[in-house]
Amino acid sequence: MRVDVVVVGAGTAGLVAAVRAAQSGRKVLVLAKGAGATHLAPLTIDVLGYAPERVESPARELAPFIAAHPEHPYARTGEAAIAEALDWFRGVMGDAYPYTGGLERNMLLPSAIGAPRPSALVPVTMAEGDLRRDEPMCLVGLRPLKDFHAALAADNITRLGVQARAVELDLDVDRADVNALGLARAFDRPEVRALVAAQLALRLRAGERVGFPAVLGLRHAPTVWRELQERLGRPVFEIPTVPPSVPGLRVDAILLGALRAAGGRIIIGSEVVGAAPDADGVTVRARAAGRDVEHRADWLVLATGGFAEGSITLGSDWRARETVLDLPLAHVPAPGEPRFAPGLFDEHPMSRVGVAVDDGLRPVGPDGRRVHERVLVAGASIGGAVPWKEHSGEGISVTTGHHAAGQLAGVAPSVGVAA
Amino acid sequence: MTTLQTEVLVVGGGATGAGIAWDAALRGYDVILVDRADLAEGTSGRFHGLLHSGGRYVVKDPVAARECIAENEIVRRVAAGTVEDTGGLFVTTPDDDPEYADRFLDGCRETGVPAEEIDVAQALRDEPRLNPGIRRAIRVPDASIDVWQLVWALANGAAARGARILPYHRVVALRREGDAVTGADLRDERTGEDVRIEAGFTINASGAWAHQIAEMAGIEGVSVVPGKGIMIAMNHRLVNTVVNRCTMPADGDILVPIRTVSVIGTTDIRSAHPDDLPVTQEEVDAMLDDGDRLVPGLRESRALRVWAGVRPLFDDKKAGEGGSTRDVSRGTALLDHLERDGVHRFITITGGKLTTYRLMAEEAVDAMVEQLGHDRPCTTSTTPLPGSEDGEHMTPGARLRRRERHLLTEQLICECELIEKSTLEETMRARGTHNLDDIRRNLRLGMGPCQGGFCIPRAVGILHAMHRMDVEEANRSLRTFLEERWKGLWPILHGDQLRQARLDDWIFQGLLDVEHLPGDARRDVAAAVHTGVRPGSAEDGDLQPTPAPGSAHDSTAGPS
Amino acid sequence: MTAHEDSVLLDLVRGSLDHCVKCTICETHCPYSNVTPLFPGPKYVGPQAERFRSGEEVSPDASVDLCSSCGICTQVCPQGVHIAEINTRAKARLAESEGIPLRNQLIARPDVLGMLGTPVAPLANRTLSNRPLRALAHRILGIHRDAALPRFAGRTFRSWAKRHTPPAQATKEVVLFHGCGTNYYEPELGEKVVAILEHNGFRVTIPKQGCCGLPLQSNGIFPAARSYARRLARRLAPHARRGVPIVGPPTSCTLMLKREAREIIGLDEDPDVRVVSEHTYDICEFLLELHERGELRTDFQPVEETVAYHAPCQQQGHNIGKPALDLFALVPGLRTVELQARCCGIAGTYGLKVERRQISLDVGADLFSQIRDAEPTVVACDAETCRWHIEQETGVTNLHPIDVLHRAYGLDRR
Repeated sequence: MRVDVVVVGAGTAGLVAAVRAAQSGRKVLVLAKGAGATHLAPLTIDVLGYAPERVESPARELAPFIAAHPEHPYARTGEAAIAEALDWFRGVMGDAYPYTGGLERNMLLPSAIGAPRPSALVPVTMAEGDLRRDEPMCLVGLRPLKDFHAALAADNITRLGVQARAVELDLDVDRADVNALGLARAFDRPEVRALVAAQLALRLRAGERVGFPAVLGLRHAPTVWRELQERLGRPVFEIPTVPPSVPGLRVDAILLGALRAAGGRIIIGSEVVGAAPDADGVTVRARAAGRDVEHRADWLVLATGGFAEGSITLGSDWRARETVLDLPLAHVPAPGEPRFAPGLFDEHPMSRVGVAVDDGLRPVGPDGRRVHERVLVAGASIGGAVPWKEHSGEGISVTTGHHAAGQLAGVAPSVGVAA
Repeated sequence: MTTLQTEVLVVGGGATGAGIAWDAALRGYDVILVDRADLAEGTSGRFHGLLHSGGRYVVKDPVAARECIAENEIVRRVAAGTVEDTGGLFVTTPDDDPEYADRFLDGCRETGVPAEEIDVAQALRDEPRLNPGIRRAIRVPDASIDVWQLVWALANGAAARGARILPYHRVVALRREGDAVTGADLRDERTGEDVRIEAGFTINASGAWAHQIAEMAGIEGVSVVPGKGIMIAMNHRLVNTVVNRCTMPADGDILVPIRTVSVIGTTDIRSAHPDDLPVTQEEVDAMLDDGDRLVPGLRESRALRVWAGVRPLFDDKKAGEGGSTRDVSRGTALLDHLERDGVHRFITITGGKLTTYRLMAEEAVDAMVEQLGHDRPCTTSTTPLPGSEDGEHMTPGARLRRRERHLLTEQLICECELIEKSTLEETMRARGTHNLDDIRRNLRLGMGPCQGGFCIPRAVGILHAMHRMDVEEANRSLRTFLEERWKGLWPILHGDQLRQARLDDWIFQGLLDVEHLPGDARRDVAAAVHTGVRPGSAEDGDLQPTPAPGSAHDSTAGPS
Repeated sequence: MTAHEDSVLLDLVRGSLDHCVKCTICETHCPYSNVTPLFPGPKYVGPQAERFRSGEEVSPDASVDLCSSCGICTQVCPQGVHIAEINTRAKARLAESEGIPLRNQLIARPDVLGMLGTPVAPLANRTLSNRPLRALAHRILGIHRDAALPRFAGRTFRSWAKRHTPPAQATKEVVLFHGCGTNYYEPELGEKVVAILEHNGFRVTIPKQGCCGLPLQSNGIFPAARSYARRLARRLAPHARRGVPIVGPPTSCTLMLKREAREIIGLDEDPDVRVVSEHTYDICEFLLELHERGELRTDFQPVEETVAYHAPCQQQGHNIGKPALDLFALVPGLRTVELQARCCGIAGTYGLKVERRQISLDVGADLFSQIRDAEPTVVACDAETCRWHIEQETGVTNLHPIDVLHRAYGLDRR
């Protein structure tokens, strides 16, 4: 195909970049070797949670953090880009899946085992679980769901200072082994919601807010959440669990819909195996059945992720490679130097490996000079961060995806709520 | 302080010790078996799973070869349910002298190891991943054996005949009255309680730790050289037959399909102490290269974890300092301390290999019986173990087949290894344990590709819900499990396994945020008591990162 | 199979299980495990169960047979696990150990059925629509009485092709791979493909061909599938070697040639299969590439209709996007609705089977309700078994995208 922009990668960063570019009238093609990590992530937009102490207010603490970490992706985009990206994201989610929050104060949402997670922008379906408030909680364990242990989570939450207890509900589904997605589909059905509400109503105490694992509907979130709140007459919130991530799937569906509505194209299952940038554009080579296919674009946005996605690899020869364009990688330990620390939770030398970029999100070499003009990098492919420790993953993805699209010629500046 | 009385106290719950407990119980003795940790947590639990045909020894150690083939045939019968009849191949790789195969065949003939040379083309048909450059291939009756199934079958068999099995009981002193050993003082590692065992006879089956126990009886000169060997578990069965290099024993010359993985091993380096088993990056790289020689592409295949085990090599004071321990005797050392040291009612059995566990147990119990002046013959070569009565061998697809029957009714907790919720709960109850590592050994929980990423949080939740763990213990268990498993991961963390580890980081730190669970932040001794792991103990070997290539392994070094 | 073929398969397919990190994405998208608990899902029967299969013992897990081989799992897997391929191989091993029912042997050979039914088409068609006889087939053979079966055309596309004279002024050549469906059941579709290609200046060569073996493969009958695929490749290879593109309307069959014959039944090293695979195109793919080079005639007349387009899972398996949509965009007046379902449920022969029919309907339910909501004039879909199934279940006329383009070119009035 011949397009304006090829985006490689269908995770949060890639889809954000693609949607923004497409909505600006650019002809966009997204190529991905598979479904994106949106399927796995909770999609709370965590901007900065630990630096390394817990961050109360990203608005206050981003500037010193960026100053202390000049190699961090946020240092490349600048602090202002983060707020812009969050606004844009909230606009795209719209009423279909409203988000709440902002950079002023992180919310503290309970994790599935009851640890506090600092998040800046969260879906409304989760916000009522904020541990900064002290209303007691009743967590609902749904018996066929093996990935949520309400009692354990409740015990931990109580130790954080918020009274929490657990109740177990038996949900009749067609199999013994059901995951969050199966339950979310069940919750899409009104009769299931009615049953759950009826069973719970008798067991709840005054003043309690009610927490569920994040299964409150797939197609019909947030209606399911609202309805449960009404029926139960008290605040309701969801807690994200291990994959499959239902909240992630909701966001994925909205972003894909927005991409389609803006005329963008996506091919899932076509792995980009090479790209040849030149002065005028990029020729992209992608795998397809039988033979490779070539696409031509003015721009390429690389949003393929890092080690977790297999886009940056470490071979058994202990050399790291970026697999699409063979871009230079930063923060790679020299041969013979340790790559990992002996303690799992220590900071590992390998943690920050990724592509180094400049303020225009173009890849740069060790000398700091741009390697390609027509290639931009977004998301977890960018080095310099340890997102799972900082709790900054989605913040980086949304910000750099949005920023990358903004760098493309002809893409309108973001003015808040997008159509 | 609890006091227990018994006829026979067996110290050491590896294959030998458990074999002794079974043997003695069959002969009508009352037995107590103790181990400082879980059964088979020492050497037995860290070997590659090979039930030798003896082929490996036919040229260099014909006595050992004869023993192996004889025991191979017996163990296949009496412990059938723990053995997988994989068969074995000795192959001449391009790096090997093809004439060695002739010496090999001669050796097999002389020692009675059934060996049949086959067409290389046939070998490649049977095992398509084999190095296509092999020049000769010889079939032998190697097999693979699940040592935890074996050890627990022995222990349960003994228990059914009245024996008491006490894991997590550490011997702190042996009791002597005059020139006789009369039992031991122990500490229950889980409760901190003191236990005294008064025993008519004590058998020291503590393998690589034998000299420590012997010293407690005041006996010097029991010198056991710890021979460290590393092994790497590859994610799937690259071969379905045991593959050996047809050459003099060398590093990384065996690839064993065992259950769902294949294990490449091993090395042989003298270690200072059986609890000090560092693994270096160089050893790992060399092992991967060795594996690649047998199965091209092994290097790039996914490695699950690396660990170190320690062989108990009895030193007859003939071996020199340092270097390869291959030349130190692998034979069994049965030390009758009455003859040797004038101490009654105490024998030590050490050395040996897992394949000959039964024979070692027989020899030890025979020695005890003789000293006691009894006449009770051994019956272990003809008595099937619990679970092996039907003589059926293990098959790789057994769990999958079983799961088919429960698809609609049972939840899978560990998906990689197909462990169902009811099985998990049963084991937790039967073992009376909440130690995830104990359960891991019994069931293979968390031993698949995700290395516990998905199943361990579920298991912790279940234990907590069963009230077997309070929330602090649950939090600690989760963190400890992750930290321990990391030790066996980081040296082989590349390619697919790095991808998995990074996804697991996202799940455990990003999504669940185990690091910020309320309460304690670091392991302490109390935690160690509860989880059965001593701080600084050889749980899977103390794996250290090396600051520079070729440097040695200072196990007290911190992160570099 | 030879050790080498097996070794190739092992490296490519079984070895890919190492990439699985248990992310559950495949399970999320599998249309079949989402509707029936009897099928444990692609992650389970693919990379997970494969670790327990040693190839020697009798196949341990019968539940793998519920996999439809739709291939969606492989498409969405971000790690590169060849899940559908692992599953299909496991199904073949299961079929080997359990034996293949007569029904599967029959429905896996559309060319044989076509040859037998064509000379007696009116009788054959009456038989296939006779309720009592269908009830008998339901009970005895296991072919569901309500499943959509095609109607024999009574003539073959090839007999038309023999009598057809290509236009003299053609300057370029293309080879047509028509498939069994076109040959025995929808010869007019083949005629339309030829007409469109000739309209665009091509001379269409229609060599001796045969069945690609796909239904044999999906039913686990690998030896026969290999013979068919090899034979077809042998016949098409000389043209591929001349650099002539091989195009065809049956999107499942072109995918078989492009990928599945190589990866699933292990013919990756066969030079004929290789060269044919590299030169094979789905017809819409081919036409769109012509357009991108500026070589497609765009003299389309307005078609004031609403077409709902369903890309069958096998079309998605080409990994080329949805070229039909881009072609429809060239037709003035045509309103296109892109249906968002992954699978219609027929999966070739899967939905014909008594024991699978309900699953098949449950899988297709979402697609059918989207079609009802869209209220289209027609549904366009690139695979014939899907078209027959969707038409029967929704009552909406189902066409190949070629039918729409043919009409838009005005070729139906010439």
